[in-house]
Amino acid sequence: MRDLLELSVSAAASGCIYALVALAYLLMIRPTGVINFAVGEWAMVGAFGGFLLLSKYEWPYALGMAAVLGFMLLVGWITERIAVRPLVERGAPLLAAILALLGMLVVFREGISLGFGPDPHQVPEPVSFEYLKLFVIGATLVVFAAVWLFFERTLWGKAFEAVALNRRAAALMGIDLRRVTVASFAGGAAAAGLAGLLVAPNTSAHYLMGVPLAIQGFTALVIGGVGRVEGALLGGLLVAFAEQLTVRYAPLPSGYAQGVPLLLLMLFLLVRPTGLLRARA
Amino acid sequence: MLRLSEVHASYGAATVLHGVSIEMGAGETVALLGPNGAGKSTLLAAVTGTIRSRSGSIVFDGAEIVRAPAHRIVQAGVRLVPEGRLVFSPFSVEDNLRLGALRLEGELSERFDYVYRLFPRLAERKKQPAGTLSGGEQQMLAIGRALMSRPRLLLLDEPFLGLAPLVVHQIRSALEKLRASGLTLLIVEQKLDIALAFASRAYVLIKGAVVLHDTTADLVRRANLADLYLSLAPRG
Repeated sequence: MRDLLELSVSAAASGCIYALVALAYLLMIRPTGVINFAVGEWAMVGAFGGFLLLSKYEWPYALGMAAVLGFMLLVGWITERIAVRPLVERGAPLLAAILALLGMLVVFREGISLGFGPDPHQVPEPVSFEYLKLFVIGATLVVFAAVWLFFERTLWGKAFEAVALNRRAAALMGIDLRRVTVASFAGGAAAAGLAGLLVAPNTSAHYLMGVPLAIQGFTALVIGGVGRVEGALLGGLLVAFAEQLTVRYAPLPSGYAQGVPLLLLMLFLLVRPTGLLRARA
Repeated sequence: MLRLSEVHASYGAATVLHGVSIEMGAGETVALLGPNGAGKSTLLAAVTGTIRSRSGSIVFDGAEIVRAPAHRIVQAGVRLVPEGRLVFSPFSVEDNLRLGALRLEGELSERFDYVYRLFPRLAERKKQPAGTLSGGEQQMLAIGRALMSRPRLLLLDEPFLGLAPLVVHQIRSALEKLRASGLTLLIVEQKLDIALAFASRAYVLIKGAVVLHDTTADLVRRANLADLYLSLAPRG
């Protein structure tokens, strides 16, 4: 029983990391239709930001965290300006932006590996290690609650959602589509960067940490559905529980357990491609 | 108030408007007529900044807006009620109206009162998701939503399309109130009888060019009104 409880807390904590990455995808997909696989590298940038400010310069955690999140907003903003907007303004198809962002993925990864080298770097935990998982869960819930309130209760949240529902109708309301796009990238980068910062005390900051997070987050997104913010959270938790229950109880070598999310991904794409939670129609 | 000179517009490689010039004064009601595919909706898209490729000159209230982004044009006071209504179906009537008022400079409650007085049906259904409204109510919502930012020029793209006669009558009398209040209206309509009775002047657009421009009083006296478009179609 105690074993199962510990397992649940641990799965919930890694589920929250996946959920934040899924949220990053979702914030950008909803208004723009662009799937940005560079979210994993953004998480890595967030982790290295944590290393730099918290380990190297020993800033207090709250201040360092705020600075990393602020920096990530800037990273998302700049990424949109150089890799997405020029294409959108020339009328390029969505795929062009997705490919340009894959290029940015390489730029981020190689940039970090040049600057910090290939070795992992320690990132301190915000609270003592035994409470780390609870901190991760709490921080994620706060973020999801805030994002949910933004979309459900504020006019600008509705405006973002309006862009997701119908870009042309949204433009006719006087919504500035360029501003919504750049804001969704900034928000996505902040969510991804937070995921990186929160996972880093466990995994260390490493220049190759991005792709696995991008895949787990994407799986979570597909499972939960892109229609609702809650879907990202639900999807993240399901992926993590499936993973950890397999590792713990299934008679499989642990390497195989990493395939479980991918199996889930395939299953959902075949059986329920809209994900568990549908957008309200 | 609105002057288009030599406006060209295209979707990708397909040019839809070939140098259209149109002029309308403040308080006027003008109809834009023409067969399917003549470029009527494209012209409205060019005025509202929702088609990427557009050139020429569009002057609204003395300001050139042909390169302005769509939200600036809304801010300047031009609103379009698009064909197919395009209400945000998961959102309530009230939220749809609120989104319509994003660029409003002024008192929000005054605008709500105005729209609910014009369309009392919307007030009865303000908490209901827009997707659950009937077609006629959705059209009322689309018009009400456009009025929320207190526009000075209202563009209507086939506002009566697919509506029952009773609803057509209700919406028409609402539009007549708007006309009487001095709002400038440009209405795209396929049905000649409604358009000619409602507007004071009309432009006929065929294959992306203005082929006729006249007062509606003179237009209705034309002998070949029944096959107006056919008689105006470029030969060969």
